Amino acid sequence: MTIWWLVLILGFILSGGAAFIYIAVHLKRSGTVTKSVEDFEAEAEKDVEHIFNEEFREELRNRGRLHFEKILGENAMFLQQDLRLTTSQLNDYMKDQISKDLKDAFSNYESAISDAKQLAVESIEKTKATIDEQRQILTAQLEKEVTDEKARRIQRFDENMAGVVNHYVLAAIGDQIDLNDQLEYILGELEANKKEIIQDINNGA
Amino acid sequence: MAPSKEKARRLDLPTIIFGPVEVHRLVRELETLEDFLQQAKIREPGKQPPLPKTTRNLEVIASNNNLNLLHVTELTKLKQFLQSVSQKAPVVHMGLASDPSAVFTAKIVAWLRTNVHPYTLLQLGLQPTIAAGCVLRTANKTFDFSLRNRFSQQRPMLLKAIDRAMPADAAAARPQPAASAEVAA
Repeated sequence: MTIWWLVLILGFILSGGAAFIYIAVHLKRSGTVTKSVEDFEAEAEKDVEHIFNEEFREELRNRGRLHFEKILGENAMFLQQDLRLTTSQLNDYMKDQISKDLKDAFSNYESAISDAKQLAVESIEKTKATIDEQRQILTAQLEKEVTDEKARRIQRFDENMAGVVNHYVLAAIGDQIDLNDQLEYILGELEANKKEIIQDINNGA
Repeated sequence: MAPSKEKARRLDLPTIIFGPVEVHRLVRELETLEDFLQQAKIREPGKQPPLPKTTRNLEVIASNNNLNLLHVTELTKLKQFLQSVSQKAPVVHMGLASDPSAVFTAKIVAWLRTNVHPYTLLQLGLQPTIAAGCVLRTANKTFDFSLRNRFSQQRPMLLKAIDRAMPADAAAARPQPAASAEVAA
C-alpha cells in the first residue's frame, strides 16, 4: 500500500510539473503568432504585457516555485516517512526471514547432530560389547594357559624332582661326603648284588 | 705248559695292584729287568750297567710271592702271571663321586677279589654328579648304587612328603603319580 501511495504522489508531482511546463511553453508560443493577426496580437501582446508583465510573471514564477517547493517538501516528507516505514517493515521482514532460516538451519543441525550422536553411541556400544567379549575370551584363554603351564611345571618338577634333590644335595654337601664314610654303604650294596655281579662276570668271561 | 699255568695261577696279586694300568706297568718293568739280566750275562764282569730301579708295586708282589726277580725263571714266571692276569682277569669299572684314597681302593679290591674273583681288576672313574655311592659296571651290566639313583627310586616317597607339606589347592593341581609314572615311562 505504501508503494502505491508513493507512485500516486510521484504521478501527481510529475503531472503538475508537466502542466506548468506546458503552460509556460504555450504562453511563449502565443507570442509568436502569425502576422495576419499581428494587430490583435500586438494589442493582446500589449495587454498581455501590460497584464502579464515581468513583475507579474516573476510573481507567478515565485509562487509556482514556492508551491512546487512546498509540494516537493511535503512529498519528500511523505516519501521519507514511507521510506522509514518501508525500511522498518523491511527490517522486520528480514529479521523474521533470517530468524526463520536460522531456526530451520539450527533445527537441521540439531537433527544432524542428534543422528550423529546416536550413531556414535551405537558405535561405542558395539565396540564396548566387542571389547567385553574379547576380554572374556582372552581371560578364559589366559586362565587356561596359566592352569596348563602350572600343571606342566608341576609335572616337570615331579619328573625331575630326583635330579633336583640330587643336585641340591650335591651342591650343599657334595664336598663334605667322605668316601670312607660311604665304604660301608658301598660294600653293603655290593654284598646285596653279589650274586648278579658274579653271574655277569662269569658270563662275560 | 699246563703245570706252569697252574703255578702262575697260584701267585698272589696284592690289592695295591688293582687295575689293568698297574699290571701293564709291572709287565713293562719286568721286561726292562729281563733285558738288564740278559745284558749283564753278555757284558764283561764289572762293566754291567746299573740295576734299574724297581717300583714299590713290583717289590710288594715279589715279596708277597717269595720271588727273587734276579732269577730269570722266577722273573719270567711273574711276567707270565701278570700277562695272564691282564688278558683273562675280569675287569670291573667303578665310578665314584670323588677321588678315592688308597685304603678305600684296597678295601674295595679286597672285597672283589674275595667274593667275586681272586684276580679281579678294578678301573676307577670319576662321576661327580652321582653325589654319593658308586656306579659299578661289569662286562654286561651296570649296577647303580649312587645317591642319585636312590633319589629316583624313592621319588614317590618324596612326592608324598611334598604333598603333605603343600597346600590343598597346589596338591589338587599336581598330576596323579600314576600319570606321571606313565609319562616317565
